[in-house]
Amino acid sequence: MSLLKKCVQQLLENTNLCSQTIAATAAAFHTSPVCNRVQAGRYRVTTKRNRALTYEMANPPHYIAHRKAWNSWNTSSMLDGLRPSQTAIEDVFMRKFMTGTWHALIVSEVIIKRQHNMIRIAAIMRQAISPRKMYFLIGYTEELLSYWLQCPVTLELQTVADKKDVVFKYI
Amino acid sequence: MYLTRRLPRLCTGTSQLLATSCGRFNSKVAASEDRIEIPNRVQRSPTDILNALASTVGRDPTAPHYKYHDDPYLIPMSNVGKRTFAMAQEAGRKAAKFIKEEHRDLFKHQEAQPSIEAFAPQMVFTEESDVNADTLQNLIRHSQITDAITVYNLMKQKGIEITNDTKQQLLELICFYNNEEPLPEEWIEERWFKANADARERNRKTWKDGELAEQLFGEIEPKTAQSYAALIRGMSKYFQAERAYALLQEATEKQFELDTQTFNAVISVSNFLKETADQRWELCRDLLQQMAHQHLRPNLSTLNALLEVVSTFGNFKFARSSALKVLAEFKQLEIEPSLGTYYYLLIIFCRERGPVSHIIVDILNEIKGREFTIQHPKDTYFFATAMDVCRNHLHDKSLAKKIDELLHTGNNYDLIGDTYKESVYYRHYFALLCQTEPIDEFMKIYDLLVPNVYIPEPGIMEEILKAVEMNGAVELMPRLWSDMVIFDHISRESLVTRTLQILVDNPAHEDIPSHQSIPDQVGKIALDIYKKIAEPEGRRPKDLQFTGKMIGDILMLLVRSGDFEKASEVFTHIDKNQHRIPGTPSEKCLQEYVDSCIENKAPTKALTCLQYVVENNMDSQPMAERINAGFTLNEVHLSKLKSLVGENFVSK
Repeated sequence: MSLLKKCVQQLLENTNLCSQTIAATAAAFHTSPVCNRVQAGRYRVTTKRNRALTYEMANPPHYIAHRKAWNSWNTSSMLDGLRPSQTAIEDVFMRKFMTGTWHALIVSEVIIKRQHNMIRIAAIMRQAISPRKMYFLIGYTEELLSYWLQCPVTLELQTVADKKDVVFKYI
Repeated sequence: MYLTRRLPRLCTGTSQLLATSCGRFNSKVAASEDRIEIPNRVQRSPTDILNALASTVGRDPTAPHYKYHDDPYLIPMSNVGKRTFAMAQEAGRKAAKFIKEEHRDLFKHQEAQPSIEAFAPQMVFTEESDVNADTLQNLIRHSQITDAITVYNLMKQKGIEITNDTKQQLLELICFYNNEEPLPEEWIEERWFKANADARERNRKTWKDGELAEQLFGEIEPKTAQSYAALIRGMSKYFQAERAYALLQEATEKQFELDTQTFNAVISVSNFLKETADQRWELCRDLLQQMAHQHLRPNLSTLNALLEVVSTFGNFKFARSSALKVLAEFKQLEIEPSLGTYYYLLIIFCRERGPVSHIIVDILNEIKGREFTIQHPKDTYFFATAMDVCRNHLHDKSLAKKIDELLHTGNNYDLIGDTYKESVYYRHYFALLCQTEPIDEFMKIYDLLVPNVYIPEPGIMEEILKAVEMNGAVELMPRLWSDMVIFDHISRESLVTRTLQILVDNPAHEDIPSHQSIPDQVGKIALDIYKKIAEPEGRRPKDLQFTGKMIGDILMLLVRSGDFEKASEVFTHIDKNQHRIPGTPSEKCLQEYVDSCIENKAPTKALTCLQYVVENNMDSQPMAERINAGFTLNEVHLSKLKSLVGENFVSK
């Protein structure tokens, strides 16, 4: 027993020594407890329990394909899929463009569906501006995105009267 | 591969099967029929399958047009809404295009392979641009007039040679569009909603004299028949009739061989060249003779151009006989008339002041069940005019239904024209049907077409209300009133008055099952009208004021629906705003109100009403008696009653 302890101590000392020398030259040796905590797509509970979540937000990523679906629909990541990186970047661009153009109006995720050369963008909007203005923005978004991505883009919007209509639960 | 190998065996297999199964019934015939004929492959175009799919679905009248978003908030509910929503979307597209053109350096990337020109910003031509003959050719091919002219001028400045061929092409382009940039093809909605600008510009000379077209024509040396033809057609298209005719003469003198289209163009403006019908007819004949000399075969546009001239003849009989002569002649030439031809026939034969003509019956027999494609610009005028004839000239609903059937045959709906003609068509159709059809039948069509295909204008709504009034169909009123609210018709005094009139004149019958909920709903409508007028929403100025009759009707309806509280509120409004409301409610309304006061035991309110009657010089005697009989009045009320109508009412 004491032998084992001794051995361990020695090993530790060795490693310490080692790590010190390595730290001085290249990279450190990770000795802290294992850290595999995942945070992406999960929301922290607030003390007042007043953080509003939509159905989509309420389900963490491991429920994709079980309780909820994907936000981007395309075939780029399949075997022999084309333009995987470009597609991802374009999707980010489209989401940024949508949230910027429809400022404070989108109350859901922006769903991007690609079929052939066609892109369909779906989202739920708040009825905070008049339908006429909404139509203006629809025309503007479709046209500008199709200039940018050089393919037909269509918007598939649905509207809700109140932001609370899409709230699934509060945490 | 597997299937192709299997196919022959499959074939023989089936034929054997067929042979045996047939053989059971008659074994003699089977031997000769055991081969299956596989038809030859039919060449299909890329869109054939789409067309085939599209032909299986028609317009769904329960859904809004597919250009609108399918969401309750975004579905247009009035004619104004339909227009603004579609135009707003197009305005957004224009804004995007503007941004693309402004920030052209950001849109230079090429994502699509092969690259698509329409997504890239357009070329801008300046003084320094490097241009050549190909650039000009390209611009002409895409009908970009302004740019083509700039490039043409640049090339002349730089002394680059331009071939006569290119010049001719440019001349044709400029003549066709009269040196103006046309509305780009991509703005569909703007074209659809453009308020009949062509009709306003009709009969006005818009040709640009002495501008680029004529300069170009001067530059082309030696002149050819084509250059003459281009200029003549341009001039007659934009009603520079005299000079077009002079040019035609000049070309004939120089022995150029012009084509049929050029002659057609001049024929169609011959009503600008000559004053009287006889002279016009003479000129047309002369032009046709010239065509014959040059061995030109007339075509459909010749026929339509001739009929257009004939339709301007004031003399009805002459117009009629000339039209028939033209028709007979072209029938011999075996030229198939288009819808435009029939349109001209209708306006020639069915004139407002002329005798009644049933030519439309023959036309419909001729073209029943046929599918048309556009062949002439005036083809789109046919349906609206035909429906107009059905309504105003013949007043015949069966004909109207036949026309509607024709309109919905095949792709004929494409020929409805634009929104203006479409609404004219349905306006006539609805007006005719609500006058001639039984109200139930009419409402079926109303349910089908309103509001997604057509929204009735206030005038047509009034016709519908008249039909309801005639039939006493008060059970339709809640529905029609809510439609009127949605279509934004409630600011029309005539409609509101008529609605109230119908409700007042047709009290619900409790014994009819469909009338069970009517009294309740009528009260709601009356209250709705009262609220809409008394306290208009938002900042909108009051565009509708009460009249005495209107508010009296509201009062009566509220009394009848048993809502005494609201009724007395309305009466207080009448009493307070006496001098602001023109006219007074009828005595009958006030009488009913007093009766309900008696029922609800409210003598003070009854006396206020009596006071109002006295102040407005109406016959107060019967009301006073009724009040006296209905209540056991106390001293105060009795003395007030006496002071209003005098001492002696009791003795009478």
